Amino acid sequence: MTTPVTTPVTTPKTTAVRIAATLVALITLLASVGCASVKPWERGYLGRTDMAWNPDPLETTRKEHVQFSKEASLGGGGIGGGGCGCN
Amino acid sequence: MAVLALPGIAGADSPITQISADYNFSWYQEDKLDSSKAADSGNRDRFKVQMHQFHAEAPVFDRADVGIDVIYETMSGATPWYVVPDADGDPIQVMTGATVEDSRTDVLATGRLYFDDARASLSGGGSFEKDTLSVNGGLSSEHHFNDNNTTLGGGVGFAYDRIEPVDTDRFPLRPKDENRSATTAFLSLEQVLTATSVIQSSLTYRHNRGFLSDPYKRVLVAGDPIADSRPDSRNQGAWLTRYRHHFKALGGSLHADYRFFLDDWEMTSHTLELAWYQDVWRTLQLVPSFRYYSQSQAEFYGPFFANMRSDGHYSSDYRLAPYGAMSAGLKATGEFDLWSLHFRTVLAYERYISGGDYALGKVDLENPGLVSYHLISLGLTIRF
Repeated sequence: MTTPVTTPVTTPKTTAVRIAATLVALITLLASVGCASVKPWERGYLGRTDMAWNPDPLETTRKEHVQFSKEASLGGGGIGGGGCGCN
Repeated sequence: MAVLALPGIAGADSPITQISADYNFSWYQEDKLDSSKAADSGNRDRFKVQMHQFHAEAPVFDRADVGIDVIYETMSGATPWYVVPDADGDPIQVMTGATVEDSRTDVLATGRLYFDDARASLSGGGSFEKDTLSVNGGLSSEHHFNDNNTTLGGGVGFAYDRIEPVDTDRFPLRPKDENRSATTAFLSLEQVLTATSVIQSSLTYRHNRGFLSDPYKRVLVAGDPIADSRPDSRNQGAWLTRYRHHFKALGGSLHADYRFFLDDWEMTSHTLELAWYQDVWRTLQLVPSFRYYSQSQAEFYGPFFANMRSDGHYSSDYRLAPYGAMSAGLKATGEFDLWSLHFRTVLAYERYISGGDYALGKVDLENPGLVSYHLISLGLTIRF
């Protein structure tokens, strides 16, 4: 009897360094494009409901609850709330 | 798990002006365990859940509003217990046998205060089950600058769970009384890119401590099914990036989200979600969606163990196993006015399937307890 493993492409530590580097690059990119300003009267499309991060909050809550119960990962969509016996 | 969400679109935040109420009913059904993966001919029915969600919100004064969320769900079915090898050494699942019946009530209250270029949110709530009591609280804020083209957000949250497993007389390996806590913090940066596109990236960190094992699961070690045993701390991190783009010519909006996750149980995962919001008529919107997920295994996971580990940690829980999952969904939303009220109806369906073959890495032995499910939802919103 053996312990099965996935074949790791990278170690977690290496991956963390790559993620941090990518994040710094992304923040730099965001900061640079931040100079290009969209005026308030140009924001009609950005204000559409379907452009929101969570257009249907009940659906978001439901899906994150199911995924939290069945998968090992942290949602990443906020600070989280109550626990449950499901995980 | 209730969530105090990340900030909204930059510059679009303002107090609500109308009272509104939402109700949603969902039916969740897991696939029956395949007979080729079952260790015996007993109960192979997996979980089914009926969930009722209620949300209401109202303005308090010019710069504040409040909301309340209530979830009531009933669960029944058998769950995976532990894994044994068959005659060929392949893992097969032992189920709990008896059908588990339980219910859960979750309540979350939220208050939001709005300033000229900022918003602060405070939340508190609890979750109540026969064997688990959980309380939680959180505080978050966001600040808009650069002519409302950039938003910086952040927040902290805390949750405490008390666990009192049932049937400890019949199953003496189960602990009688345990607790665990989680502290979460996040930072987010959001940038309007053009008049039709916006991006947001966030980092979330969570520290868990206490009893993090599953009191109802066992694991086969040197031929004996012993209690699931995990470390008493877990540090998790998630990097989530989300992009929204509206296509004027098509009358539709693209949602693209990517999340990378890692923790000190040596687990990593990748999640990609895509959705397309398409206006069909003035009153109807269709939303097809796709999600891909892949995770590696926890350092102390195995379907079964031939030898003892020096740290004493073991789990054969499929949720800590290596696997991948795909899901596809379709949602239809209709809006209409009646009796001076505004109504919104939602009908959604999602199919989720998981397996070792869907993982990004190679999985030598697939956990037989991996779950696949159907999820159907029906919702109604009324604005007064």
